[in-house]
Amino acid sequence: MSDLEYVLQQLINALSIGSLYALVAVGLSIIFSLLRLTNFAHGDMMMVGAFATLFAQLAGLGFLPAVGVGILVSALAGVIIERVAYRPVRGAPDVTMLLTSVALTYILENLGILLFSSSPRNFPLPDWMNHLYSFADGRITFNNINLLTLGVTLLALLFLNWFVRRTQVGLGMRAAAEDLTAAHLVGLDVNRVIVVAFVLASAFAGVAGVLWAAQAGVVEPQMGFTPLLKAFVAAIIGGFGSIPGAIVGGFVLGALEVLIQSLPGDWGLSPYRDALVFALLIAFLLFRPGGILGVRQEVKL
Amino acid sequence: MKKLGVVLGSLVLVSLGLAQGTIKIGNAYNQTGSMSSLDVPASNGAKLAVKEINAAGGVLGMKLELVSYDGKTDPATITNMATQMINSDKVVAIAGFTDSDSALALGPIAQKAGIPFVTAGATSPQLPEQIGSEMFLACFGDNVQAAVGAEFVYKNLKGKTAYLVWDKSTEYTTLLGKYFKDAYAKLGGKLLGEETYKSGDKNFSAQITKIKALPQKPDVLYIAAMPDDIGTVVKQFRQAGLTQPIVGGDGYDTPLLVEVGGKAADNVYFTTHALMDAQKGTPEVKKFIAAYKKEYGKDPENAFAALGYDTIYLLADAIKRAGAPDPAKITAALMQTKGLKTVTGSITFAGTGSRVPQKAVTVVAVKDLKLNLAATLAPSYIPKP
Amino acid sequence: MKYARLVVALALIGLLAGLGPHVLPEYWVRVLIVLGINIILVSSLGLSNGFTGVFSLGHPGFVALGAYVSGILTLELTKKGAYLPDLPGFLAGVQLPFLPATLIAGVFCALVAVVIGIPLMRLSGNYVSVATLGFLVIVNVVLVNAEQFTRGSRTFTGIPPYTDLGWVAGWAVVTLLVLSRVAYSPLGRAMRATRDDPIAAQAVGIHILPARLMAFALGAFFAGVGGALYGHYLVSFSPATFYVAMLVQQLTMLVLGGQASLTGAVVGVSAITLLSEVLRNLERGFSLGSLQVPAVFGASQIALGFIFILVMVYRPQGLLGDRELPLVTGGRVAKGAGPVYKDTVGGGRT
Repeated sequence: MSDLEYVLQQLINALSIGSLYALVAVGLSIIFSLLRLTNFAHGDMMMVGAFATLFAQLAGLGFLPAVGVGILVSALAGVIIERVAYRPVRGAPDVTMLLTSVALTYILENLGILLFSSSPRNFPLPDWMNHLYSFADGRITFNNINLLTLGVTLLALLFLNWFVRRTQVGLGMRAAAEDLTAAHLVGLDVNRVIVVAFVLASAFAGVAGVLWAAQAGVVEPQMGFTPLLKAFVAAIIGGFGSIPGAIVGGFVLGALEVLIQSLPGDWGLSPYRDALVFALLIAFLLFRPGGILGVRQEVKL
Repeated sequence: MKKLGVVLGSLVLVSLGLAQGTIKIGNAYNQTGSMSSLDVPASNGAKLAVKEINAAGGVLGMKLELVSYDGKTDPATITNMATQMINSDKVVAIAGFTDSDSALALGPIAQKAGIPFVTAGATSPQLPEQIGSEMFLACFGDNVQAAVGAEFVYKNLKGKTAYLVWDKSTEYTTLLGKYFKDAYAKLGGKLLGEETYKSGDKNFSAQITKIKALPQKPDVLYIAAMPDDIGTVVKQFRQAGLTQPIVGGDGYDTPLLVEVGGKAADNVYFTTHALMDAQKGTPEVKKFIAAYKKEYGKDPENAFAALGYDTIYLLADAIKRAGAPDPAKITAALMQTKGLKTVTGSITFAGTGSRVPQKAVTVVAVKDLKLNLAATLAPSYIPKP
Repeated sequence: MKYARLVVALALIGLLAGLGPHVLPEYWVRVLIVLGINIILVSSLGLSNGFTGVFSLGHPGFVALGAYVSGILTLELTKKGAYLPDLPGFLAGVQLPFLPATLIAGVFCALVAVVIGIPLMRLSGNYVSVATLGFLVIVNVVLVNAEQFTRGSRTFTGIPPYTDLGWVAGWAVVTLLVLSRVAYSPLGRAMRATRDDPIAAQAVGIHILPARLMAFALGAFFAGVGGALYGHYLVSFSPATFYVAMLVQQLTMLVLGGQASLTGAVVGVSAITLLSEVLRNLERGFSLGSLQVPAVFGASQIALGFIFILVMVYRPQGLLGDRELPLVTGGRVAKGAGPVYKDTVGGGRT
């Protein structure tokens, strides 16, 4: 494998990982921009979406309709957690909302274990999903899951861009993100806007859950936690609360992770990957709180 | 507060009242938390064994009773649970756990109380020395299976060069990797390098690309992985075009390997306790798989189901030979275990001076979505625990 | 008067610690030991999280460091050779008694807290929480990789079982005494001011950073001490022992009792400990007359999670809010010094 081929292949790997992070991070950012809620339960929406897809398939649905069901179910789950857990604490200090989401993820993960058992389950895929593209005598490879991950993420983000610029609810979301109270004062139906935000964010998480499960080949109740942590990093280094920021952050994080791991072994950095990534997060908070895109933030006193 | 006391008190009373006429065995597994995907199958295996033994008339004319608590993968909860089992429930022996963190939390308490403790699946060969005379393993140690893996790679697969990949986040995979490295070097094999990952990552593309870029292609990949990850590992390694034999330990012994890996699981070899195949396995294996499927409606999730099942039969055998449900006598009888046929092979402690059973290691080969017996080996060199 | 109460309280605790192991069943001794350790851990968490409003999610990181430092320092030399053969010289030949090891563990954690606190304590709200969560992840990764000190992800074992009820009760009293002295002193008032209104606090001349740093470092000291006690209680642990599950447990205890109250921390720890023990025994299944309730493992965690959410919704300030027993404050606190939760939440609900 030549150096160029090596770099190309790692670039493909980075794009594939990064687009998943971006997809999860966007949902985190939408919700944060509206409510200042650091939503730990967001990762569990991935779990919900993936399990719903699995069970829809087991019930006899084809793969694509099953994915549709999965996305619907995760969106619905988002609406439910908003109504049941987050609305009652809306407007409370950041910490109260953050803690509510911690409690929620604790409940959801344990509920998942209770209902589905914690052993991973096979996530059946149609053959075309695993179809492989191979170049340079197999030295560069990627499959339809990688392509789809990137493609679906880009489509979802384009849709989101259209939604927040061209639809009434979307514009309302942007207004509410600027200033929730003011938006409320000028007659915006804040509840509706927030519910829509949860629908979108959770549906995105559901899609990410299906793609994550497709790459891994398995679903399990605790599957959402690792991607959630990474999405926090992505959202913050991009600029927390900003949709473009989350996208940029996701891809940058994916690239960084792959870079750390693709360095020669004698550098000894790859076991420290997660530590380095979180050190970067802290560095951003301290020195560039607005993230790569420089989003306006009040992170310091 | 008063009510809580009453509830707790009555629980203790209820469990004391049942003590007559049954032999109580502690069923110590993490039913929830991060270890539960291995512990629940083992606990299910244990329950099945107790049901079978009781249906056949019990032991010494008494029924076995499993006393189950949830360790929650939390060491403080495990210590509480251990004291409850020993002091309030008066168990005469404890069976449990598939990881050494949990086994080491419970072990010292059982040791102090003089209650024999047999771990179903904590394969660290250091445990008996770390805990003491009451600690037994129902499974072989990782050093033995890694040595067999290394010999199989070097002799049977003619793998003169190998590349090691291991999961850095668990003890089992860390030990397996270390012992393999030791045994493989002793045989004269050349390790071209090693790479680690973290359980839960589920994306190994960066590591895979690195292996593909090696100037010299390794003959064999030795991957020490947990059951929850192995399907993903095989799927992703094969898809990226790494066609070498993939070799590993009993973590591979889960239906997920073939379910998730599919055709990609061909040319995968692993060391394990027995060939878990409903057609080709030993009579014990066939009987176990059929019984497990009947009881739980699914195939055993991984090798730990069989180990949990065997642990109970191991204890039942010792209790029978002890002649009375007395912990000290059971420990002594366990030490005298000789050639006990179980699903996961034959267990002998007598005369070995070790509380890690000397079991033959089975090497399984995967071909066309089927498991086949590749070899049954006893290693010539075993790395020190 | 207040000293009389203190003496009575100390005498009771002394009696408990001295007599406990002889009259109580071992199970209850163990429950009490873990309860005492959690009082140390949660009240020290409360100092930064409740009193200064720096809501740290990194506490288990300090607990881990405390446990490992004290474990390394007290390990028998022969065991050190066997388990940690690559330990650097200055540690390989050291075997300290329990108390100095515990103190060093605490001081080590406090130093780490100062180093990371100087930058981090400037952050506010969610950001400091996410950054301290980052600290927890970093500690975990470092512990897994620092194999020569920690055996990596392999279980760290062979630690002498020093922790008993006496040590735990003693340290719990010391922790509560020190924390109450600090929290209800002028420094403590400064801490609360930086929580309630940082800008006004600065306007009246309070330096935010030192006040917060002090709380964070002191909290880390006792987290280290508590970690050492926990380590010598378990006698074996691994980096996974001190991770997210521990964090969730500490947070549940803290918010139930009341973040801005030391009495609340004690109440929260006691309530959750008892409740978990009761639920843990109920979820095994039981029979009520002819009704057989089967085992539902995991139900206790779900129940605790719901309690957590209910507290957040209906009583975010916790059971006690900012109230304290007079014993704790020593009459040094004025009424109305509590947090601003009540107003914000009442007004913010839509």
